[in-house]
Amino acid sequence: MTTQSSTPTVQITGVRKSFGAVRAVDDVSFDVYPGEIFGMLGPNGAGKTTTIRLMLDIFRPDAGKVAVFGGPMEEEKKNRIGYMPEERGMYRDQKLESTLVYFARLKGMDEDEARDRLAGWLQRLDLYDHRQKRVQDLSKGMQQKAQIISTLVHEPDLIIIDEPFSGLDPVNTRLVKEIIEEQRQAGRTIIMSTHQMYQVEALCNRIVLIDKGRSVLYGAVDEIKRRFAGNAVLIEGEGDFTSVDGVLDAYQRNGAWHLPLAAGISPQEVLRSLASREDVHIERFEVAEASLDDIFVMVVQGETPDG
Amino acid sequence: MVKPWEVAKHEYLKAVRRRSFVLATLGFPLLFAAIIGFSVLVATDGGDSQPVGYVDESGLLAASQPAAGTQAFADETSARAALDAGTVQGYYVLPPGYLSGEAPRLVYLTEAPSDDARRAFNRLVRSALLADQSPEVRQRLEAGLSVTMQSAEDGRELASDDFLSFLIPLFAGMFYVFAVLSSAGYLLQAMTTEKENRTVEVMATSLSPMQLITGKAAGLFAVAMTQLAIWGAAAVLALTIAAAATDLFRGVQIPWSLMGVVLIYFVPSFALVAGIMIALGGVVADLQQGQQIAGIVNLFFIMPFFLFAIILARPDSPLAIALTLFPTTAFLTVAMRWGVTTVPAWQMAVGLIGLVICAVVAIWVAARVFRIGMLSYGQRLSWQTVRRALRGRELAG
Repeated sequence: MTTQSSTPTVQITGVRKSFGAVRAVDDVSFDVYPGEIFGMLGPNGAGKTTTIRLMLDIFRPDAGKVAVFGGPMEEEKKNRIGYMPEERGMYRDQKLESTLVYFARLKGMDEDEARDRLAGWLQRLDLYDHRQKRVQDLSKGMQQKAQIISTLVHEPDLIIIDEPFSGLDPVNTRLVKEIIEEQRQAGRTIIMSTHQMYQVEALCNRIVLIDKGRSVLYGAVDEIKRRFAGNAVLIEGEGDFTSVDGVLDAYQRNGAWHLPLAAGISPQEVLRSLASREDVHIERFEVAEASLDDIFVMVVQGETPDG
Repeated sequence: MVKPWEVAKHEYLKAVRRRSFVLATLGFPLLFAAIIGFSVLVATDGGDSQPVGYVDESGLLAASQPAAGTQAFADETSARAALDAGTVQGYYVLPPGYLSGEAPRLVYLTEAPSDDARRAFNRLVRSALLADQSPEVRQRLEAGLSVTMQSAEDGRELASDDFLSFLIPLFAGMFYVFAVLSSAGYLLQAMTTEKENRTVEVMATSLSPMQLITGKAAGLFAVAMTQLAIWGAAAVLALTIAAAATDLFRGVQIPWSLMGVVLIYFVPSFALVAGIMIALGGVVADLQQGQQIAGIVNLFFIMPFFLFAIILARPDSPLAIALTLFPTTAFLTVAMRWGVTTVPAWQMAVGLIGLVICAVVAIWVAARVFRIGMLSYGQRLSWQTVRRALRGRELAG
């Protein structure tokens, strides 16, 4: 659900940021609206975290403009933001509950209210019985869930989560996805940054793809997928499918081979090429919807549908 | 104000619950009590309670009554018998030519008579020597020359013969410096903790760097004040008890004026150390690295200890004055000089102004370096980056 008629919660316009000779973010622009889940996608080191830090005024851009809640970042706006950084941070030698209460207080919450809400969150995420343990005695997954609680407990209007699923098992990944979807339904603005694109493509309304500091693709997920429809094939069978003419990449998922195609190559051409080979045996061949992973590979190699 | 207050409360509770804080805070009063107790024990326990004997061959003491703690013998044989029998600690022999310069002898077995016994005999001899003087003159001569030094500039007075009047400021200075440096250590830890625990970004999106710095510094300032208050109360209590127990501490007066100076110097000293430690916490990669550099920084504060003998021997020398004017050594040097000279007000004023200026600069530098430094996890900031941060080119907000 994207409500682009409303004022954007976050508006990034042509921002640039360099560290010494390295240009970490180069002319990136996008808007994020209330009630949507926005994905900032790209490989590690693409500039996603730096963009978030620019958004949150941790860094100041060399050029361009950042607006949050309609204007520049101010101290009062911080209470309306929940941020889970990529570098997970909690005081390792402190008890879980007191750490979470402290963080909630720093977000402007009353202590009693913070304790009440935390009790509910801790129970929901199976941490209630561990609340008096020191953070360092919790597993990595538990620390990750505690961090999610800390991000959401003050009911922020803008939620920014950097690599939300790293360190989580499949059960907790599903739980966190549910929570994120709930937050969206509650009308909050959610920005998720990840290099695991397949994890978020079902969740996100719109995305920006960032590579080497530059925005390479930006728009609604459905629209982007439509643009790249037919540009991938799914194959089940035996043999080596990694070196097929006209194919950009080949990877296996759920037992099937996924092959994004180069621009101008049709699935029929690939099928003909494979049929002429004796070293492969095909049991299933179908035109696939390109995944965000596929689309990313196509875009960074300049293989756009129009190209 | 709520957020800095929350940070201050968090840091205060974390610091005072540390084992090292409890040990240092309670350990010092216990050490102080042990020293006072030992002094009282030595002062009250004169050792041997037996009198000291004397044989007067000079006739000087013929008209004197044996004073308390002394016992007259007609000749050395009987005195020696008493010594062998253990009824005297030893005995003096005033030779016939004593008044013309012949030295007296003190005879004992293995251990010299106690100070109390010797003082009793000295009093007896002095009284006899001054028998023809008026009681007022006798009293003056027996008391010795006791001078009260007075500064013409600020009117502060100083007793020349009261050893505690210089010991107490010295101890106060030591405790003060220790409190400032230990809380500075906590501050460095509080800064590197954020870095080591990767909580900087959470903090940066919850409150401003200045709010965070202010909160941490205020919390640890309260820690230092708590420590000083406990030590001060323990010292006053110990001295009060000691004064009631023995003459040694009876004339002791709490140097309230020095206490006032401590308070005036405390805030800027703490701010200076805090600024240095915050900036250091931002620059270094971890606590260990920070502590190594902090050790060098601390030297600038405790330097007067190494020059202790020179400062006490020549409290108005150019070196002592220079250390009084230098921001990091100002207070400790003032405390050392306090008991042995009158420190001119202008010197304290210049030292204090220098300290305040340095503290303001340190806090400014700290605030600039802090944010950019805090995000450099696991690595030390280069001087180039620090320079850029000071020029404001790496900063946000």
